[in-house]
Amino acid sequence: MSETYYKLHPVSALINFVKGLKELIVPFLVVFGVNLFRDGGISAMFNQGWQGLIPVLIGSVVLVFVLIAGIIKWKRFVYWFEDGELRIEYGLFVKKKRYIPFDRIQSLNYTEGIFHRPLGLVKVKVETAGSGKVGQAEAELTAISREDADRIERKMEEAKRGVQREMAVESDLAAVEEPVVEEKKPTKTLYRMTMKELLVLATTSGGIGVVLSAAAVFLSQFSELIPYDAIYEEVMLFLRFGYLIVALTIFVALLIAWVISVILAIFANYQFTIQTDEDHIYLTRGLLEKKKVSVPFKRVQGIKISQNPLRELFGYATVTVESAGGSIGDKDEKIRLFPLAKKSTMLPVLQELFPDMDWEPAMAKAPKRSIHFYYRLDFLWMVPFVAAIGYYFYPYGLFALLIVPVIVLLGIWQHKTAGYALANRQLTMQFRGIGKHTFFMLKRRVQAIDVTQSYFQRRKGLASIQSTIKSGMMGATARIEHMEKDDASRILAWYEPSGQRAAHTEKSQPELFSG
Amino acid sequence: MEHQPKNQISRKGLRVWRLYGMIQTAILAVLMIGAGVLTYFFDWPQWLYAVYAAIIIVYGALFIYLFPKIRWERWRYEVREQEIELQHGLFIVKRTLVPMVRVQHVDTEQGPILRKYDLAEISISTAATTHTIPALITAEADELRARISVLARVAEDDV
Repeated sequence: MSETYYKLHPVSALINFVKGLKELIVPFLVVFGVNLFRDGGISAMFNQGWQGLIPVLIGSVVLVFVLIAGIIKWKRFVYWFEDGELRIEYGLFVKKKRYIPFDRIQSLNYTEGIFHRPLGLVKVKVETAGSGKVGQAEAELTAISREDADRIERKMEEAKRGVQREMAVESDLAAVEEPVVEEKKPTKTLYRMTMKELLVLATTSGGIGVVLSAAAVFLSQFSELIPYDAIYEEVMLFLRFGYLIVALTIFVALLIAWVISVILAIFANYQFTIQTDEDHIYLTRGLLEKKKVSVPFKRVQGIKISQNPLRELFGYATVTVESAGGSIGDKDEKIRLFPLAKKSTMLPVLQELFPDMDWEPAMAKAPKRSIHFYYRLDFLWMVPFVAAIGYYFYPYGLFALLIVPVIVLLGIWQHKTAGYALANRQLTMQFRGIGKHTFFMLKRRVQAIDVTQSYFQRRKGLASIQSTIKSGMMGATARIEHMEKDDASRILAWYEPSGQRAAHTEKSQPELFSG
Repeated sequence: MEHQPKNQISRKGLRVWRLYGMIQTAILAVLMIGAGVLTYFFDWPQWLYAVYAAIIIVYGALFIYLFPKIRWERWRYEVREQEIELQHGLFIVKRTLVPMVRVQHVDTEQGPILRKYDLAEISISTAATTHTIPALITAEADELRARISVLARVAEDDV
């Protein structure tokens, strides 16, 4: 049986090259940067004759090497289909082979970068249930045409159906049906992000922190190269213009960082779309780089709706899907189902995607007497801190006292938010750090439930409840603090498979189980 | 919180924890003696000696006597047909419920000290969490491990 071997599109060589360059950019900057500052700039490099050109020579050799490596990597990469497996052979110096059985492939994720789009190509990441290494998909096809990607998907479908047919034969089902070569149900578009939502998302996102820290990292990387002595004098001069200018500069810098983060967020989430067929959700997004993520329904472990205070004020929320498996360390590990949308827009879509879940259950709240538990502890460790600042920086240090009402108010707010809802098969938990989170979990997805009680909670008949589901390679935890002890018992009883406790609790408190 | 899980861990576990406490206290004592020597050579105030001694005594009393005792009395577990229930904690009591269906694998483990006392600890892993019962008689731990793995295979998903 001769198999057809497929190659990647030649543009992969270029992509490999660019990727190699990206990894080299920091060492290059350091090498050339140092030379620039050291002996009188770039011109000196050329004045010193051939010795001055050594860095340039080395640089060019490395460049050529990276280019050739990119080409060889492309030349060597072949994939083919055999025995219900996707088989890949690749490697620069060492030839590696990887065989992935189709029925172990969980999802194919597509990305279209700037090199891919004009040529109608995609990058395909093959993910399996136990993708082992950190941040690495099981296999990655750097650039193939759309048709090739579709062919992989088709082969995968065929292989999966084949397995099912075999199983049907084995289990001796009377009527062995003809292989129904039904086309997969067409995908249905459920939601497309509007421009308004995109703008609100971009302007209220926390991306600014990322940009700032990137700038900080960048500066710290090059701090040794910056001639601080020269700068220092200028700074002193600068300071004489007063705090106003300093403040203004900081403000402008922040503004620029913010604008950059807005632009990045727009690029990343442009035309965010949710599509679905019978067994997958497809999420597409991106302007320059188009990403498509597919999530199989059966891997969804729970749904989280989050709102930071600013977004909560305007009724916007983010929805994340906690999904099992996938590659850890990957940024997409937490898959955002809605980057940002009004509750009224998202609820119908959620309803359609997960029809057997209740999206607006009535919450049981934390009891009134637990309210001071929410700020008491913060209070205790705050007191010496505030006292110290007040003492050492008297009188201005006394402003530290302002943190006290903030803590108390936050505590009251957290108390007001905390709540849970039990349904036949679903547990919903709502809690607040600063932002508000609501976790929707099905009973059969919950891995374990913990109930904790401190000495003080025991005296007041309170308890904290924690539920863990699988997310990525690890777990995600929802925790509600300082609830009624009976609430904890009720959740344990609901969760217990043998129902022993339920029977026990029912006798003592029949009115709680009238459903 | 009305009824507790039935089984307690081995009485010998208490002895092992006391032993751990003694080792920690011994290390602390060495540090404190070092501080004492410094105090002597640098003529620091005399009352510091009392502080060092007090630290050793209080630490020893807590970690050799009181904490192991509370922990041991608090530790309960129960393996039923369809679920495992654990209870432990010193200041904060934690109760955990793990359905049998969720159990993925069970391990037993034995360090040198545990082996000397013929004890083993048993870890129960689900897809997302791991739960450890710290001190069981080795034979008992092996038996429990076998039982859990049988039960976990039999247990059926209800929903």
